[in-house]
Amino acid sequence: MSLRVENLVFTNRNFTLRVEKLEFESGRLAAIVGPNGAGKTTLLKCLAAIHPVSRRVIFRGRQDLAALHPAERARLISYVPQEHSPVFSYTVRDFVLTGRAAHLALFSLPSARDEAAAEEALEFVGLEPFAGRPYSQLSSGERRLVLIARALAQKAEVLLLDEPTTFLDPKHEWAVLELIRRLTDERKLTVLVTLHNLDMAVKYSDTLVFLKGGRVTAAGRPDDILTERLLRDVYDMPMKIVPCDGRKLIVR
Amino acid sequence: MKENRRKRRAALAAVIVALPIILFFVSLNVGSYPIPLRDVGKSLLSLVVPSFRSEVPPAVRDIILLIRLPRLLLAVAAGASLAVSGAALQALFKNPLVNEYILGLSSGSAFGAALSLVFLGRAFPPQAGAFLFAVVAVLAVLLMAGRLEASLVSLLLTGVIVSAFFSALLMLVEFLASPYALQSLFYWLMGNLSLAGWGDLALSLPLMAAGLALLFLLRWRLNVLSMNEEEARAMGVDVRREKWLVILAATLITAAATSVAGIIGWLGLIVPHLVRMAAGVDNRSVIPLSAALGASFLLAADAAARSLTSIEIPIGIFTSLIGIPVFLALLNKSKKVWL
Repeated sequence: MSLRVENLVFTNRNFTLRVEKLEFESGRLAAIVGPNGAGKTTLLKCLAAIHPVSRRVIFRGRQDLAALHPAERARLISYVPQEHSPVFSYTVRDFVLTGRAAHLALFSLPSARDEAAAEEALEFVGLEPFAGRPYSQLSSGERRLVLIARALAQKAEVLLLDEPTTFLDPKHEWAVLELIRRLTDERKLTVLVTLHNLDMAVKYSDTLVFLKGGRVTAAGRPDDILTERLLRDVYDMPMKIVPCDGRKLIVR
Repeated sequence: MKENRRKRRAALAAVIVALPIILFFVSLNVGSYPIPLRDVGKSLLSLVVPSFRSEVPPAVRDIILLIRLPRLLLAVAAGASLAVSGAALQALFKNPLVNEYILGLSSGSAFGAALSLVFLGRAFPPQAGAFLFAVVAVLAVLLMAGRLEASLVSLLLTGVIVSAFFSALLMLVEFLASPYALQSLFYWLMGNLSLAGWGDLALSLPLMAAGLALLFLLRWRLNVLSMNEEEARAMGVDVRREKWLVILAATLITAAATSVAGIIGWLGLIVPHLVRMAAGVDNRSVIPLSAALGASFLLAADAAARSLTSIEIPIGIFTSLIGIPVFLALLNKSKKVWL
């Protein structure tokens, strides 16, 4: 199912995000880019219902997501935060298991089926050997993967990731993006990811969305919309697009 | 090695659960008048099998059934309540240093007890007033902190403010009180299980049982609630509603325990902490094990308070004197438990 945003207006203090229309298809990876403070994270948080959104703004097919019960909505949309600073040192297994909350009634405990879903999510990100380790002892690359596994355990069709590669070295950055690409292709998820690395955004995404000052500047296939002029308009600095090995590199 | 660790944790958990049961029966023996185990057993059995009634002296039977049994039941229930309430609030506020009195409950209930003792007299039990104002204090904190989404810091600050307010009111009441009323007030303030009779327990035991059951049912949910609030919301949790539920249950059991047993400090901080060190931070085990260890802690402290000296030391003094050094030792040793 596709995810559609129509006439979204969200104001937080003196920042306003306005999106007239955006559509995200299943089996497609959309990268949301733009300068700091452009509203990338705000957009994701609106979609994840972390920020309150009015009715008839976010749709799945014809279904209004704001009309759903929180747990119902969370079974459709999952969200991976940028970072999680742990207070209690849950094991990786228990941590990922909390992603099952949307499937469990208030007073119930996770069943063997929930345990299996968590186990399977951990396996997909390649961290099942870490299941018994405390989350707090993992490296930041491993933590990102655990956060993704927790969202996968939620078994939603839409996956939102907020800057999943910030602070990662090139190898871990590559691993996380490959994983996200695989999720899009193999599981046909609708994936939205905010990124700062433009090269990676161009390489991995099917759709690029440029945001600036709370507005969508351009959206479409990278090949169709990416121009030096657009980059200069969005980032207020000159950038060059250099073809290399059949890819487009962006040079500052 | 991992398998070993799991086995060790399971064994520890079994010990923690068995502890209050053993301590309960041992505690029935000890006190200013030691009673042999055989007579304890016969007195208890006489409740179900009337023929045992003639085998123990009536005075012994009365000590066991009318004095020690309600007192120990209160120790079990109050110990479990204070520890579970601490554990639940620590998870909810994502802070292992929060205690069950953080939301102004202790000063509220102290004021309520004082008010009752001074103006309604000693014949009227102070429990009702203590319970009422404990709840009032917590509600005042929640209302003043505004929305329940309020940050931990603003809740803590409001807790401090409300505590200060009720402490001032308490002093005012103390100023107006007769020395006679003051004496009973101080006795209550220091935490005391000896005031408990069956009459006092009739209301507070069911309240504690209900609140404990609610938090026990919510024990896995506490894991989810102990995550960042935004994450919990994205995971489909109605954070506001579930926060209310946890705070309500924790307030209910702390207020019920405090109103009958007085202010018993440090238990809600140390017990969950020890449990997390021994058995890990998963609230599915932290909640039941905190209940068992909290009950044991209070039973042991009460037995010591009753038998170490010829006069009975108020138990609140005892738990603080044991609790503070234990906590300092833990603090030095165990930073890794939280981070």
